[in-house]
Amino acid sequence: MTHMAILELIGLGKNFGQNVAVNALDMTIEEGEIRGLIGPNGSGKTTIFNLITGFLKPSKGGIMWRGTDITGSAPHAVTKLGLARTFQLTTLFRDMTVLQNVIMAHHLHLRASLWHQFLKSSESRQEEKEIEDMSLVLLERMGIATRKDEIAGELPHGYQVALGIANALATGPKMILLDEPVGGMNPVETDETMQRIRTVRDQGITVFLVEHDMRAVVSTCDKITCINFGNKIAEGSPQMVCSHPEVIEAYLGEEVSCSL
Amino acid sequence: MTAVMIALPFVVSGYKVDFLTMLMVNVILAVSFRVITTTGGWSLAHVPMMGAGAYATALMSGNLGIPFWFSMPLAGLVAGLIGLGISYPLRRTEGFAFFVASFAAGEALRLCWIRFKIPFGGHQGLVVPPPMLVPGVQWLDFAEAIPYYFLTLVVTVFCLMIMHRLDVCRIGSTFKTIHSEENLAKSMGINTARYKMLALTIGSFFAGIAGVLLAHRLWAIEPDQFGFSTTLYLLVWVVFGGTTTFSGPILGVVVLSIIGELLRPLADWVPMVYGIIIILTLIFLPGGLESLPSRIGIPKGKFWRAQITVEDR
Amino acid sequence: MQFIGQMILNGLMTSSFYALIAVGLSLVFGVMHIVNFAHGEFYMVGAYTVWVLFALLDWPFFVAVGVAILVVGILGLVSEKLIFRRARGNVLNGFIMSVGLVFILQVAVVEIWGVGKMKPVPAAYPQILHFMGATTWQRFILFPATVILLGSLWYFLGNFKIGRALRASAEDPEAASLYGMSPRKSAALAMFLGSAMAGAAGGLMAPIMSVHPYMGHAVIWTAFVVIIVGGAGNIKGTLYASIIFGFLTTIITTFLDSTIANLVNTLVMLVLLAIRPEGLVAHAEK
Repeated sequence: MTHMAILELIGLGKNFGQNVAVNALDMTIEEGEIRGLIGPNGSGKTTIFNLITGFLKPSKGGIMWRGTDITGSAPHAVTKLGLARTFQLTTLFRDMTVLQNVIMAHHLHLRASLWHQFLKSSESRQEEKEIEDMSLVLLERMGIATRKDEIAGELPHGYQVALGIANALATGPKMILLDEPVGGMNPVETDETMQRIRTVRDQGITVFLVEHDMRAVVSTCDKITCINFGNKIAEGSPQMVCSHPEVIEAYLGEEVSCSL
Repeated sequence: MTAVMIALPFVVSGYKVDFLTMLMVNVILAVSFRVITTTGGWSLAHVPMMGAGAYATALMSGNLGIPFWFSMPLAGLVAGLIGLGISYPLRRTEGFAFFVASFAAGEALRLCWIRFKIPFGGHQGLVVPPPMLVPGVQWLDFAEAIPYYFLTLVVTVFCLMIMHRLDVCRIGSTFKTIHSEENLAKSMGINTARYKMLALTIGSFFAGIAGVLLAHRLWAIEPDQFGFSTTLYLLVWVVFGGTTTFSGPILGVVVLSIIGELLRPLADWVPMVYGIIIILTLIFLPGGLESLPSRIGIPKGKFWRAQITVEDR
Repeated sequence: MQFIGQMILNGLMTSSFYALIAVGLSLVFGVMHIVNFAHGEFYMVGAYTVWVLFALLDWPFFVAVGVAILVVGILGLVSEKLIFRRARGNVLNGFIMSVGLVFILQVAVVEIWGVGKMKPVPAAYPQILHFMGATTWQRFILFPATVILLGSLWYFLGNFKIGRALRASAEDPEAASLYGMSPRKSAALAMFLGSAMAGAAGGLMAPIMSVHPYMGHAVIWTAFVVIIVGGAGNIKGTLYASIIFGFLTTIITTFLDSTIANLVNTLVMLVLLAIRPEGLVAHAEK
């Protein structure tokens, strides 16, 4: 497995007025990794995701993706370059079915022009059929194919998360950012989801996830970065990070504790 | 339905034929407004876009002598282009800001018509010649109510067909994703700003067409016809009917217009009636008339869902 | 010099007018997240109240204005209870409901008093005032009246428990309960005060502008522009914006005309919105 840096954060910083949310963060993620990002509530984790994926513009510093500078790029452009994400509160097209969600998520696969889409030409219809087939395969892989015609907003939480991941995978990414994928899940669901995440990585997609559930993070991630108040305080193997004094201190008083 | 629409003008009295014609114009206006709302935007520039089409055709057919069959699409194009121009600065605005900014843009256009007497005629507006359609054919006089009704009917059906197709194809579905969860759409690689611009442009085009039909029937246009009062009526129609389904706005226009027509003897009270209806609707049936079936218990079927999968089409 | 003095004078009066109306609208939006489009019609009702009491019934002018303030304030209260409360914070719905209210009020007034402009309300104080420029006392009163009214409002918001609670809920609806005031109460209070301001503006303007059922329409748009630029919900910001637009309008109207002034105001707002597309609304949708 090559150890090429796929994502680099260089001196990344973000201020909201006086509030320094992210402070000169340096981080490198290698291709094929499963990287975890941990830290107490409010430490800036989702902000980092938003900065990487273009939902926020950095105040300083840069982001390199596979050698290209993507600092300040718009979200749809970032996804086009191969970086996909999920959102913390399961963000789905709530009124559409599971299958419809994933079909729409294949937007980047469209080759037919708008005009053809409007005319529903045979080209376009052929493409729609292909996309639908791809979507069904993806749903199968995520284990939610049986629910394909259900309304997304009515699914149980675990399935919504799986759908969110499916939506992200549909864009054909090289790396996927997962924002608290097992939040609110019981241990069984958590294990299933983490297993799926491992499968995603095994298929060649680098994974970068934010999570509070320490057991999940420690058991799945190759490497963990811990931040607090927007600063990196530890980075390394799960064992190393978890026994790091600053990390333990940061989590003191929090519900979640970093124990093996 | 078709048979009814064709037979109607011969059955009702002369004045009512014009009512039906205007009804159809308003249907185009409302449905084209919905094109924009499917991306989540409530454009208060929409009625001024109708005005843009009206003024364009007035100038083209009046001053330049361009025949109707050309001036209509061209005027629509003008409206569409103005819509495009407006959509660019507005492409990243949302919600309240979009609402207000679109109003401002529309109002700025209107103020131009008022301020620049040449060529727009100022407060008095412009005179519009009746449509020159089939030169030389005497008995088909489109200055008359009934022929004009059929002209409008044909154009309306055509426009509705196009907008419906837009709605059910992938473009329409993409619009709906933007409305549903814009951030998710963006993270799927959808350039939401571009699609919103597209929706506004297309909506404005059809609003312009509605304006053309209006202008050639009334034979005169003035800026106040495209002012905020008309916009308020448009808003009441679409909120009353609902904007989730394609037929919602149509329902809203038709039902409220018929109510307005039935209350002709009490014409002064009609706005108040509308006001009360809309307030009650928002309290008791916030989804509008179109949501009535689901409230009564008719289950949500394909009728409601975006038609995205292959079988749906 | 005389010329500039006159412009400053006119600017002050225009700004006062804008401020009275816009601040009320801003307060309502801040607390209730409702864009009350009928605010212009509240202004109109204030004008009609003064017309009835002062022009028709010969009541003293300031008493008439006082009554107008109360009447419109109560009208606001009733609207909140019957109508806006049901919008449950949905901005679009609230707006459309206010549109319905616009229709209702306009028709009501037309039915009672007809569509035409009312016979002009005689000026209570037609004496000319020479202060930097020339105007009638009637017009000038707008400035000190606004200062008094808005000053009182500001004092109330800053120094009384209820006032502070109101200001807090303009920042954050949840915060109001920390002060022991239910969101309902703060909505009612905001609506009362905000509408009362509109009524005051209408009453004071009755002798100056023509009184007719659609006079609200002319006013509401500028009010919107002002609160957008100043930040809807942000009283101070709205005040500054009122002054800016008051003077801007005055200057342009003096050199060009009022239609262009309108146009410029609109364009200024558009430009500002383009620079900050999330809107200058100080109240981010939470």
